[in-house]
Amino acid sequence: METTEMIEGKDISVERTGAEDRKLKFKNELCGSCGLCEKICPVTAIEVNPTGAMVRTEQDASKIEIDESKCVLCGMCSSICPYDALDLEIEGKSIKELEEYPKLIKSSEIDDEACIYCKACETACPPGAITIARELPDRSKLVSGEIEIDKETCVKCGICEEMCPADAIELDYKFPTSDDPTIASDINVDKDKCVYCLVCKKACPVDAIKAVCRICSYGDYDIKAEDSEIIGNSDIDAETCVNCGWCEDICPVDAAKVTKPFEGKVTIDEETCQGCETCVMACPCNALSFPESAESGDVEDKLHIDEKYCIYCGACERACPVNAIDVERTKINCTPIKSKSWEKAFESVKD
Amino acid sequence: MKIIYITLGESVINTHGVNMPKHIISGLKYLATVELRKKGHNQREIAEELGMDRSTVSHYLNGRNVSWNSIEIAEVIKNTCPKDFLTLTYALLKDEDKTRTIIKTCLDKKYVCKVKNSCIGCGICVDACMMNSIVLDDLKARIDPYWCCGCLICVEMCPTNSIEIKEVEVDGNNRND
Repeated sequence: METTEMIEGKDISVERTGAEDRKLKFKNELCGSCGLCEKICPVTAIEVNPTGAMVRTEQDASKIEIDESKCVLCGMCSSICPYDALDLEIEGKSIKELEEYPKLIKSSEIDDEACIYCKACETACPPGAITIARELPDRSKLVSGEIEIDKETCVKCGICEEMCPADAIELDYKFPTSDDPTIASDINVDKDKCVYCLVCKKACPVDAIKAVCRICSYGDYDIKAEDSEIIGNSDIDAETCVNCGWCEDICPVDAAKVTKPFEGKVTIDEETCQGCETCVMACPCNALSFPESAESGDVEDKLHIDEKYCIYCGACERACPVNAIDVERTKINCTPIKSKSWEKAFESVKD
Repeated sequence: MKIIYITLGESVINTHGVNMPKHIISGLKYLATVELRKKGHNQREIAEELGMDRSTVSHYLNGRNVSWNSIEIAEVIKNTCPKDFLTLTYALLKDEDKTRTIIKTCLDKKYVCKVKNSCIGCGICVDACMMNSIVLDDLKARIDPYWCCGCLICVEMCPTNSIEIKEVEVDGNNRND
C-alpha cells in the first residue's frame, strides 16, 4: 500500500495501490477555486491557493494543492465539487458511477424541440460550454419575384450593381476599344441572390430594369414552410458546464432547463466592499458585476449580484480580501447519503 | 549477509546462525499442523493449506523432522502480540494466504470489532488488513471478527480513529471489562 502524487502541468493525481486501486484526479482548468474540497476534507490534505491571486495574476501553481501524505482517498472532495474538477476513481471507475457514493444533483439541458437556435445561451454561457450549430434556409427560397434587365436599353453605368444590397448584379467591365466602344460587355442578375427589393429598378437612370416582387403583390403563398425551416442542434459540454442557470434565464423560448447543486443566499456588505473586483473575476458563473451608472454622478450599487446565476459555491466569499461577501448554503441537492460520517461532512459545508 | 537479531522475550533469533528463517517457518508450520489436526483436518487438507507435502505433515504429526529449537522459537513468536506474530510470520513466509492460515490456526483469541459512524470509507484499513477481514459497505468499513487477528494495524492507520477492537474471552466475555 503506497500513496503517490503526480503533477502534470497544473493537474494533480494522487494514487494509492493496494486491495483496490484508488486514484484522485484534479483538473485545474475546471476548478472554480470555491474551496469546498478544502472545507470537506476530513484529513486537511487539501489547500486551496489564494483565489484572489489565482484570478488576478498569472500563476504557475495549481489552484489547489493536495498533500499526498495526508490524503486518504476517501472521495469526499470529489463528491462535493460542483465543478467536477476532482474525481476519485476506484479500480478505474469514477465514484460518480458507484451507487454507494452520494452525488450532487445538477444538470443543464436544452430541449432541441423548443430551441430556436438564437445562440443567446452560447454567447452568455460563462465557461463557453454551449455550442449551437445551425443551418439557415436558402435565402432564394424565401423570396419570390421576377427581374429582367433590358440589355439594349442598359447603359452599363453600374449604379444598380453598386446599390444592390444582395450583391446580385454583376457587370463584366472592359476597356472601350475602337471596334467595341462600350464600358462593359454584359450585365447579369444572380437570381439566387436577388431578393426582389426593387432598389435597382428604382435607381436605374434609364429604366432598363423590369422587376416585381410577388410577395409584395400576392403575399407569401408560394413560399413553402419547409423551405424556411432552420435546422440545428445544441450541445452542452457536461464537463465544463457549471450549471449556473444563464442559459435557462436568457433563453427566449424556455428551451433550457438547469438544476443547481446548492440552494442558498448571498449577502454583500456594501459598507465593507472596496470595489476591488476580485469577486467578479473569481465567480465562475458570472453572477457578479459592477453596474455602470447611466449618467455621471449617479450612484449605483457597488457590486451587483443576481442569484439567478449563482450556484452558491462560495468562490467570491473566498476571493474577497475584506470579507464583504457571505455565502450561505441552505440545501445541498444530492443523492441519498447512507453513511453517517458523509452526511455529517455534507452538512458541514452548509453555512 | 546482514545479521539481524530480533529480541523476542528470552530468545534471540540470529538469522545468520542456526535458526535460519526456514527453520523457524518449519516450526510455525509444525504448530499449525498440530492445531489443524486437533481441529479435525486430515493430512491431505493440512498439506494443501500449508503448502507442504503429505509426508512432511505426517512427520510433523509424529514429532519428527523438525528441530525442537525451531518449535520453541515458533512458540515464542506465536506468543508475541498479534501484530508481531502476524508481521514476523509474513516476513518469514512471504505468502499472504499461508500467513493467514497459520495466524488463524494458531491464534486462539477472539475479538469484538466495532467501526464507529465517523468512518469515512476511505478503505485504508481494507488495504492494510493482512488478514483480509475488512470490506467496505455503504462507505463504512465492516470487519469480520472471524478473521480479525487483533493486530490493530487498522486501528493505528485509521485517519478518523473510527475502529475499536477488543479482545474477549473465548467464552464471549470482554477481557477488558
